[in-house]
Amino acid sequence: METPVSEIESPQAVEEIANPLPAPAGALGHDPFDDLAAPDRFEEQLDQLEARGKQKPEVRARARRAPKSKVTAASPTSARSMVRPATTRSDEHPPKPDNLARLTRRRWATTPPLAEIELPPPKGLVDRLLNSDERRILAALAHLVEGEAPYDRFGYSPEAMKTTFLLFHTLYRFYFRVRSEGHEHIPSEGPAVLAGNHGGLLPFDAAMAVIDGALHTDPPRLVRTVVDRWAGSLPWVNLFYARAGQIVGTRENFDKLLKEGQLLLVFPEGVEGMRKTIAHRYRLQEFRVGIIEHALRTRAPIIPVAFIGSDDQSPILFDIKPLARRLGIPVAPITPTFPWFGALGILPYPVSYRIIYGEPLRYHERFGPEGADDSRLVRYLANQVRRAVQLLIDRNRQ
Amino acid sequence: MTQVLVTHADEPIGRRVVKNLYHDPDVEVIFALGSGPPPRKFDAYLAGSAPRVTYTRLDLAKHRPVHDLFHSAAFRAGEIDTVVYVPRHGAGTSVMAPLVGGLSERTAESRLLLQHCLETRTIRNLVAIGSAFVYRLPPGNANHLSEDSELNLDPSVMPEIRAWIDSDMIFHSEVHNDRLRVVLLRVPTVVAAGGYVYLHPSLAGRPGSRVRALGFDPICALVSDKDVARAVRAAIQTPVSGIFNIAGGEAVPLSMLARWTGHTSIPVPGALLGMVDATERLLGIESRLGAAGGEHLRYGFTLDTDRAASELGFRSQYRIGLARAGDGALRLETASV
Repeated sequence: METPVSEIESPQAVEEIANPLPAPAGALGHDPFDDLAAPDRFEEQLDQLEARGKQKPEVRARARRAPKSKVTAASPTSARSMVRPATTRSDEHPPKPDNLARLTRRRWATTPPLAEIELPPPKGLVDRLLNSDERRILAALAHLVEGEAPYDRFGYSPEAMKTTFLLFHTLYRFYFRVRSEGHEHIPSEGPAVLAGNHGGLLPFDAAMAVIDGALHTDPPRLVRTVVDRWAGSLPWVNLFYARAGQIVGTRENFDKLLKEGQLLLVFPEGVEGMRKTIAHRYRLQEFRVGIIEHALRTRAPIIPVAFIGSDDQSPILFDIKPLARRLGIPVAPITPTFPWFGALGILPYPVSYRIIYGEPLRYHERFGPEGADDSRLVRYLANQVRRAVQLLIDRNRQ
Repeated sequence: MTQVLVTHADEPIGRRVVKNLYHDPDVEVIFALGSGPPPRKFDAYLAGSAPRVTYTRLDLAKHRPVHDLFHSAAFRAGEIDTVVYVPRHGAGTSVMAPLVGGLSERTAESRLLLQHCLETRTIRNLVAIGSAFVYRLPPGNANHLSEDSELNLDPSVMPEIRAWIDSDMIFHSEVHNDRLRVVLLRVPTVVAAGGYVYLHPSLAGRPGSRVRALGFDPICALVSDKDVARAVRAAIQTPVSGIFNIAGGEAVPLSMLARWTGHTSIPVPGALLGMVDATERLLGIESRLGAAGGEHLRYGFTLDTDRAASELGFRSQYRIGLARAGDGALRLETASV
């Protein structure tokens, strides 16, 4: 019989999540490691990975450069390693000094501290409606775009962000009355992944996280939400997301942004999080493993985040799955207001939001980038992240 | 010292490549091919009793002329060791263009060129410029794509992109060749001085009206033609083979790029794009959409150039933006940084 999450001794559970070992059987439903025939061997592997993770970076880099015994089939990846034997690049063509400097320099997309921002006079209506603190934040976030370009490589537009910020900050303060805590866990720079629970028909939880992240960090950080591919195919919606700095969840996008040192928000439940009915609200679905792989490879900490209120903003009574499949949409919900009030019925109720950031889970320090290649470890760590988020929710809903 | 053959040298990108190689002291001879008369800019290169540049008119898509060239005395005397395939960027590969042996012009050119490079013993390097529009575009306004990203093998893709994919795969097939070093450079939309845009499936050609999908404004990755020429030079000099994305630092929405280049973009609802394509075909107008309704009009991309930076030592040096010209008009320009 499964042990309810709330019955786990919290200090013990937190310790386990931060320093993971194979989870106790049935702690959070079916654990994939229950199936392991030789758990001792797995623990040895964990220790080896941990030991490798503690090596100095240069040693690890050298180990990665070592020739591999197996060569993959024809692909651009293997093509890259198709260096002529007699004329290897390292022998004959060492990188030029300027290239070397560029390659070794850690280039993170950073914003300046708010105290350093000098505000120009307001231009236009939106500037006048924003107060000086908000304008300072937005001016700092505009530094994420290189040079004087109006857009970054993912379509983020500082100008469009002004209007978005004005609208959602108003909702943040007066409609959802957001309270948040644990901002100190968000690193001031460098890559990090916020992993949270998802709820509601419209992603106001993500919007509130973007506003909250910008308001409570100095230098301000832009929370870039990873959205579903389906949203990227919708007219205007894709534009709105992109201009507000949100990205579609592809492997390349994820890696690129983390390598740039940006702050990502993911909902590892995927669309399953949206489909939760009122009976299952705040009960996390299975987490996808992609975030763990990327976090390990890019050495990014994972910060569990609990959104309290998102599952109450549009409680789903029924999800008509056959209809959703037929229409090609993630969910076909029946809520107390939808479809009875038409499109207005999907608007969120004025629930009070709470956003709680947990302590960062620094799995990359323990297992190193090599851990991302171990599918069992990755699945295990995904379960640990799920436990961390569930614990945050359970503690703070009481 | 290197002896280089450059194809389509009479077209803007080819001209730029020849110019860049001409100023490279490591390049001894440049054998330039083109379908038209030599550009005026080549007058200086072609002058003199023993010019470093030789220009030959040739139809690269036809077997006989290409065969004759590679077996000519002049070619053998030149001891060409490097071939740079600069593709034609105009309407040559459109659906209305004549097919060569059942293949589009670009595909036929790629196949013939590669075949003769493999057969000619002196040729050791082949550098080909391909298009980054060969990638399958995931939904979204802008997605980052690396060399490992999936190619768009959808049969309903527009003819021009299909020709790019065919050409890409032809060169890709020999990337592991031990004797011939093959480097494939995938470039996005190329911008040249004066605001000319090349290799974009819907913006290439003379300014005019272009349709775009309503509710979408994809981000377009850009690269300067000068950076493309620098990338070719880096690919010749660096002894690596493989596929490399080449792109500049700028990325702008399609509507802005269309405005910059004097096009009028007409937003059309996505459902109607297929009808527009069918109508264009009926009227005999060059199709810029394809049966799939022009995914490149909905979804944008930027390119991961880390591999080119680390292995070719290439990074873009030219910024792209609007600059005020001598007549006071704002024009798209490239400038070194």
